[in-house]
Amino acid sequence: MTAYFRAVWQCRYFWLSLVKMDLRTRYRRSVLGIGWSLLNPIAMTVIFCTVFSQVFGQADIGSYGAYLLAGLSCWQFLTGVCLQGCQCFYRGESYIRQHPAPLAIYPLRIVLGCMIHFLLALVVVLVLVWGVRGLGNLRSLWMLVPSLTVLFAFGWSLALLAGFATVHFHDTPHLMEILFQILFYATPVMYVADILPERLAPVVRFNPVLPFLDLIRVPILENRVPSLQTTGSAVLITCGVAVTAGFVLKRLGKRLIFHL
Amino acid sequence: MAHIDLDHVDLTFHVRKCGRVSLKEFLVRQMFRRSANPIMEVRALRDVTLHVGEGERVGIIGHNGAGKSTILKLLAGIYPPTEGTRVVEGQISSLFEIALGFEHDASGWENIGFRGYLQGETPSTIKDKIQGIADFSELGEFLNMPVRYYSAGMLVRLAFSIATAIEPEILLVDEVLSVGDMAFQHKAHERMREMMAKARLIVMVSHDLTSLAQFCTRGIWMDHGTVRMDGAMEKVTAAYTASVSHPPSQAA
Repeated sequence: MTAYFRAVWQCRYFWLSLVKMDLRTRYRRSVLGIGWSLLNPIAMTVIFCTVFSQVFGQADIGSYGAYLLAGLSCWQFLTGVCLQGCQCFYRGESYIRQHPAPLAIYPLRIVLGCMIHFLLALVVVLVLVWGVRGLGNLRSLWMLVPSLTVLFAFGWSLALLAGFATVHFHDTPHLMEILFQILFYATPVMYVADILPERLAPVVRFNPVLPFLDLIRVPILENRVPSLQTTGSAVLITCGVAVTAGFVLKRLGKRLIFHL
Repeated sequence: MAHIDLDHVDLTFHVRKCGRVSLKEFLVRQMFRRSANPIMEVRALRDVTLHVGEGERVGIIGHNGAGKSTILKLLAGIYPPTEGTRVVEGQISSLFEIALGFEHDASGWENIGFRGYLQGETPSTIKDKIQGIADFSELGEFLNMPVRYYSAGMLVRLAFSIATAIEPEILLVDEVLSVGDMAFQHKAHERMREMMAKARLIVMVSHDLTSLAQFCTRGIWMDHGTVRMDGAMEKVTAAYTASVSHPPSQAA
């Protein structure tokens, strides 16, 4: 395994340059481009805030906005990793056909791109939080470093699995979109978990995405370290998915080329 | 010592009759146990045993679909053998499907970077080579343009220039000698000769028997996935030519 990671590291210039290119195409070489690509979560936040304040008469619009934006950007990272991950081996197909580089670099390219985008979105969230509430406990922001590391590992494994699934079953992205559609409403992204009635509590308790959202939301919004339960579940889920990804890579990696 | 060892290698492709399966189809098929999209087996290589040692220049010939390109990809480590073992020692560089694999939105310069890094260059080593690659491709101003707008010939020029800018130990070549226009072909031949002089082991596939005779000393004739003949290049070429011009009666 160490040898595999070393091989991945050895071709770092290759995947780093691809990530750089992906970001440049995404942001079109401009600061405005960065803002443009962040427009989606921001616009959604504005819309939700307007609806909630005007229609439902929600009072504390500022902190709700911050909660929503933090959750949405994390959610978009996870869905982005999965949906773009579906295409990772197809996007790298011509390289795979020419050079036996370790396959994990193709999902890595995806997760790095999404991660950088996510970090930019987090900056917006932080600015919003500080604007609403003033500079809080800056030290709790250090908690974001392990949180982001866990999310990174989770995202990498997810992208790899999505890539393999799509190569073997071409309708995976389609099914995944439906799944995410359902999951979005089953996950407290735009609502707070507490408002759910008692009978729906299991939906939240066994929600596999929620720990990851809380890993990001709790340090930023509540200025504290996420609970042991949150961190523990996130790490456990990540380990499970990562082991699965490693297993799939080992079992199916060599023969991937025949399915492309 | 660079060397290649194939020991009783089999390679079987599993191809689906109607392209890829969907999860829906997979589930339905599992449930009703009726296969509407059977898997077909293609045995691309059968029991190939081959040893190529340091300093050898091997040319592979054979009709279309005989397994020439497949064996090259297997040597490069892109296809895993279904049976048997493959041992390759030495740093491999392969020249095949070179016209594919460009990032279409990136400029020529950037693509030199991607390809170069994939071939194991680092930012410092590529800095020395990038001008040479650009000069050899003769693309000039076009290198600043996204590759999307290149003609097929320009793509091949760029690909060839990048792919041949390295000094490999083992060189695997598949039909790249007929690239570009007349002038570029001449240059490409020159470049190939230089590379071949430097590489420690070469395996090349071509239908161009004259250039194979120029470059190679040992010939391998592939036929339906097996090695039909292995020997001195001239002998193998002669036997192959004879069989093509006077096909044996049972060949149909």
